[in-house]
Amino acid sequence: MAIEGADIVKAAAFLGAGLAMGLGAIGPGVGEGMAAAKTCEAIGKNPKEAGLLTRTMLVGQAVSESTGIYSLVVALLLLFVV
Amino acid sequence: MGDLGRIHQLIIPVMGHNITLNLEAIVMTWIVIALLILFGYYSSKNRGMRPGTAQIFGEMIVTKLYGLTEDALDKEKAKKYAPLITALFMFLLLCNWIGMFPHMHEPTKDLNTPLSLGIMGFFIAHYAGIRSKGIKKYLKEYCEPIFIMAPLNIIGEMSKIVSISFRLFGNIMGGSIIILVVSYLVYSLVLPPLLIAFFGIFVGAIQAFVFTMLTVVYISVQVK
Amino acid sequence: MINDVQTWVSVAAYTGAGLAMGLGAIGAAIGEGYTAAQANFAVSRNTKLSGDVFKSMLVGQAIAESASIFALVIAVLMLFYKMPDATMIKAASLLGAGFCMGFGAIGSGIGSGLPGGQACIGLARQPSIGNRLTTNMLIGSAVCQTPAIFSMVVALMLIFIDFSKAPLFPTWAAVIGAGLSTGLAAIGSGMGGGFAAGASCEGVARQPETAGPVTTTMLVGQAVAQTPSIFGLLISFVLMFKAFPESTTFAASAGLLAAGISTGFGGIGPGVGNGMAAEGAVRWVARSVENAGGLMRIMLVGQAVSQSTAIYAMVVSLCLIFVV
Repeated sequence: MAIEGADIVKAAAFLGAGLAMGLGAIGPGVGEGMAAAKTCEAIGKNPKEAGLLTRTMLVGQAVSESTGIYSLVVALLLLFVV
Repeated sequence: MGDLGRIHQLIIPVMGHNITLNLEAIVMTWIVIALLILFGYYSSKNRGMRPGTAQIFGEMIVTKLYGLTEDALDKEKAKKYAPLITALFMFLLLCNWIGMFPHMHEPTKDLNTPLSLGIMGFFIAHYAGIRSKGIKKYLKEYCEPIFIMAPLNIIGEMSKIVSISFRLFGNIMGGSIIILVVSYLVYSLVLPPLLIAFFGIFVGAIQAFVFTMLTVVYISVQVK
Repeated sequence: MINDVQTWVSVAAYTGAGLAMGLGAIGAAIGEGYTAAQANFAVSRNTKLSGDVFKSMLVGQAIAESASIFALVIAVLMLFYKMPDATMIKAASLLGAGFCMGFGAIGSGIGSGLPGGQACIGLARQPSIGNRLTTNMLIGSAVCQTPAIFSMVVALMLIFIDFSKAPLFPTWAAVIGAGLSTGLAAIGSGMGGGFAAGASCEGVARQPETAGPVTTTMLVGQAVAQTPSIFGLLISFVLMFKAFPESTTFAASAGLLAAGISTGFGGIGPGVGNGMAAEGAVRWVARSVENAGGLMRIMLVGQAVSQSTAIYAMVVSLCLIFVV
């Protein structure tokens, strides 16, 4: 089979999308897990403030997830736009 | 093995467009709805101070989920949203468990079911947010920390729909495929009942609960 | 140089066997080392109990070893099983099976070492509850093996299923992608399950009367931490069983390979993170058992949110397989 330039570019875009999302998912996953673990500890110590702690956890996780969302955006751009 | 991932579809051509119906999912959803209505009818038929089995069961589910909603929202809002949350949980639980019976399939195995429930939860949460905060404050939250971040904040909100619905779909679909493939490999000996106990009963119940809890949490984040 | 198909199948079989055993040995060795280190520490604390601690250490190590025994089985099978269908796809799928089993055994090996070590320390602290502690350790580390078992199932399917009727392009990439997807995703889930099991052994040793809620929380936490590896398995099955049309472009193959890589790597972080969340919840259920319900709820919400990146990875993989 003949390999053309455009074909190589497309293949690289697909591989790039896979790598971007795959590797980009590692950090947020671990980080959000840490947040959840510490929230469990905090609720164990101070169960009365469960509502406040849950909200704080969710906001923190949403922020640390933003890099994962950037990866998703880049991956989708590589798949459908480039 | 041949019918792995095959979907029974009915395609109706209407004026140049094809309307595709997933018959299996529709029929199973209606069976689940019928079972829930029957349960609701029987558990509230002979209400009294000395409750029957069905009434105890119904009261248990309703009080538990009311409690959960009250913990996340406050008492006033719980009255408004708890019926929705209770119905959502019971529907999802029955959907995930109905696949245990022969010739039955989980409606949640079809991506359309979780996706539509996820979109429903998304709109309810944002409607609740606008109602309680006012449109100005609601829109202002998208511009945090600076207004350039608004598109990414919107994508972040949208991706909640993807994550909540694909979580349910992936778990149920993955579980049913694992059961199918492993049953085929071991000639349906010994292992399938254990796998059904794990993926059907245990994972099904946990995922129904997670979906419901996340819907409550999304509402509570928007409201406060 | 003779480049016939049989040669390539043999090359792939031997390379795959090497990868399976080499990578598969990493995790079990670390896990067993951790168990032995904690056992030494436990013996130094309470020398009278050295016999019991020794027994507990051996049981814990034996379970941590099972992940690498799965890898050994796959490696030996690849070395000596005579493939009935020698095609280039078989060569690719043998390589995929090697990756799958090798990576898949790492997480479970490390993970199931943690409860063993904590059980040894707990035994030195509370010798009277040895039986309950051992039961808890056995349940916890058996659940940690689930991702390794998923990888073994996928590796066996890659070895034995006859792909010869499928077109070589792009099926070669699909089978390697199938191996990578389950194998890599199993790393995180295996380790995460181990965190939860370790914390539960510690908790049972500290507060024996909370054993019931602690074990329940551990099992629920581990089950949710298994989700990334279930996503990996889902993508693997789709890649193995979907009939791909023949394609002459390199991009079609690269897309399927990338689908496996995306879900595979994407599962590592969320698996570990979910395990950390479960560890925190289990530890604090043991210390304040009256909050068990609230802790379980917050654990589930936290785990669900930290899984979302694994779900995005799965969505990207599904797009790569079905859309582009």
